[in-house]
Amino acid sequence: MTFVLTVAAAAIAVAVELIEAMAIVLAVGASRRWRDAVWGAVAGVAACAVLAAALGPLLVGLPREALKLAIGTLLLLYGLEWLRKGTLRLAGRKRRASSVHEFEETVEEFDDVPLPPEGEADWAARVVAFKGVLLEGVEVVVIVAALAARPTGALPALLGAGVAGVVVLAAGVRLRAPLGRVPETELKYGVGVLLTTFGIFFAGEGLRVDWPGGDLALFAIGLALVFATQLQIHGLRRSPVPA
Amino acid sequence: MTVLRTLRLLVLGETWTLPLGVATLLLAGVALRALDTELWREAGGGVLLAGVVVVLVGTVAAGTRGR
Repeated sequence: MTFVLTVAAAAIAVAVELIEAMAIVLAVGASRRWRDAVWGAVAGVAACAVLAAALGPLLVGLPREALKLAIGTLLLLYGLEWLRKGTLRLAGRKRRASSVHEFEETVEEFDDVPLPPEGEADWAARVVAFKGVLLEGVEVVVIVAALAARPTGALPALLGAGVAGVVVLAAGVRLRAPLGRVPETELKYGVGVLLTTFGIFFAGEGLRVDWPGGDLALFAIGLALVFATQLQIHGLRRSPVPA
Repeated sequence: MTVLRTLRLLVLGETWTLPLGVATLLLAGVALRALDTELWREAGGGVLLAGVVVVLVGTVAAGTRGR
């Protein structure tokens, strides 16, 4: 069961981040030149690969309990941030997540930047594509590395990340229209619940907690998080928004 | 400074209260385990879960006031 949950957590987290990165690259390609957009994206992927090569062995080299605590802490930091934003968005206190906004904002970034003549490098476009892929990619690397560094093995995290990568890249060919239909707010909220659940579980194991029921405790933790956040979302929806 | 700020946002998120809350909670866990290892082994999971919920609910509430 932990296998399935890990695959799901890695797949959804990677898919959401890849969609955001792809929105930026598509915006650069559509408003500037595709060659420079791809150049920046490939450079961003290369930088992420270097980070992954450094982070993986660093995590695996830790002693078993320190490793669990490190994984738990990383997942808690990421998961709680996603859950915090997801709760605020679902309560109507923050703008809903949308890669369409990312797309439009990226296009607007180039409003005052003239396009260099054909044959010359468009560094503005390259930097924006590179930065977009790097920033979203770093999150992917940290989340997948943390899930993959679990003592039970890297397979479920890598499987989830691989499936998400293939699906999102395949969809990217004609992404602009479906982009607006992806329920990103709900997906991010779900990823927040999953990552925080794993974070609490592994941090607890790192601190030598005996979880009642073993891996089944993951369900209880997840349900408790959903219950607490839904309670707060309903409360916030009913209360007036401060001016 | 922009690079440092971006790195902080990437690792710690948009608020200070959340990472500080997580750090406080984990340090409290280490201290409680040192006080009573057996009790912590049995009840530590519940303490961690309750602590995370308190940190999360508090940070979300602070986010609604900050608008």
